[in-house]
Amino acid sequence: MVTTQTRPAGHTLWSWAGAAARLIVGGVWLVAGVLKVPDPAGNVRAVRAYQLLPESVVPTVGYALPILEVLVGACLLIGLLTRVNAVLSGLLLLAFIVGISAAWARGLQIDCGCFGGGGGPAANASDKYPWEIGRDLGLLLLSALLVWRPRTPWALDNRVLP
Amino acid sequence: MSKKQSNATKQANAQRAAERAAAIRREQEAKERRRRTLWVSLAVLAVIAVVVAIAVGVQSGRDTTGEAATPPDGAVDTYALPMGPADAPVKVSVYEDFMCPFCGEFEAATRKSLEEYAGQGEVQVQYHPISILDDASNGTDYSTRAMNAAGVVLDNAGPGVAKKFHDLLFENQPEEGSDGLSDQQLIDLAVRAGADESAVSRPIQDLEFEQWVENATDAASKAGVNGTPTVMVDGKIVEATSTIDQLVSDTLGTIEATLKKE
Repeated sequence: MVTTQTRPAGHTLWSWAGAAARLIVGGVWLVAGVLKVPDPAGNVRAVRAYQLLPESVVPTVGYALPILEVLVGACLLIGLLTRVNAVLSGLLLLAFIVGISAAWARGLQIDCGCFGGGGGPAANASDKYPWEIGRDLGLLLLSALLVWRPRTPWALDNRVLP
Repeated sequence: MSKKQSNATKQANAQRAAERAAAIRREQEAKERRRRTLWVSLAVLAVIAVVVAIAVGVQSGRDTTGEAATPPDGAVDTYALPMGPADAPVKVSVYEDFMCPFCGEFEAATRKSLEEYAGQGEVQVQYHPISILDDASNGTDYSTRAMNAAGVVLDNAGPGVAKKFHDLLFENQPEEGSDGLSDQQLIDLAVRAGADESAVSRPIQDLEFEQWVENATDAASKAGVNGTPTVMVDGKIVEATSTIDQLVSDTLGTIEATLKKE
């Protein structure tokens, strides 16, 4: 009798939770990215508003972020290279959490620009920071789940990486 | 001492051989899987990297920020509508988006006082419209259209009429998220402010100062304006507060304090 080390055929509760995490995190990235792509100048201003990066790299980051979000989101949604993309997703979220926290700590009143816009009303912006950080922490947790258990049902990985 | 192995031994040897073969096979399969994972990962990452690089190029091409633009005649500080004498001791810059409701509140609360300061020659107010809320007008880009119209009126009819037009735009401010005022409504308000209809119609419709609008918005962002309304007194930002009432009283307080120092 030969026992092979293939993964168990049955999907566990964790793997279904992972599939849900993939759809939630991937969906949020895709929407966030797609909403931002039409306005490159606005993205550059939104990045600049955080006052964290030197002006020389601000435009490139502003142009690159939305498309990176779209790609990471799409890969997570279809379950392609789940672990790698979950790592990318986690890194992006960490960067945003740091950015918003830094803005909050320094008393900046900025629209996070998370879903486009950026540089909205000056009043009451800081009231939203806790909720924005909480949302990003939740997404970070889901990304971490996918780094830990990248195998999920309904994922392209199951075909291209058997 | 017999050379013949017992059946049991033979069986055991055969099983060991089979297990070894299976182990080797498993290891090869695992190796193959790792190799495949590595190559697929590298391929996907390479595609992501290439697409991001291409997209950065495309987006940078679409972003015309900073291209040469002719400012309207009569603009101060390249991008502002002035009110009050250029030699006034205190300069107050007000950054606002014509679509921004808080700006409307700020305008209503400060207009009289600022006009008095300007009238007495104590303050030159520089109204800096910017366009950051274009995505809040159902795709009609109201912020840009309204600011362009302000530039057209300034260019054609001078600062006095432009200030009146600016006031009318806030008095007739459309709701954020609506289509905004139509081009025709902008033209009507310009005429009401005192501009010549035949002179302003075309450039309002054709967005004559669109590039100037874009550059103004970028310049404001570089100057540290991250939202509207933002007020600067002699170049120093009056810190944004949680309410517009607070911003209004901070603004007027800062102007008073600066005037006393002069």
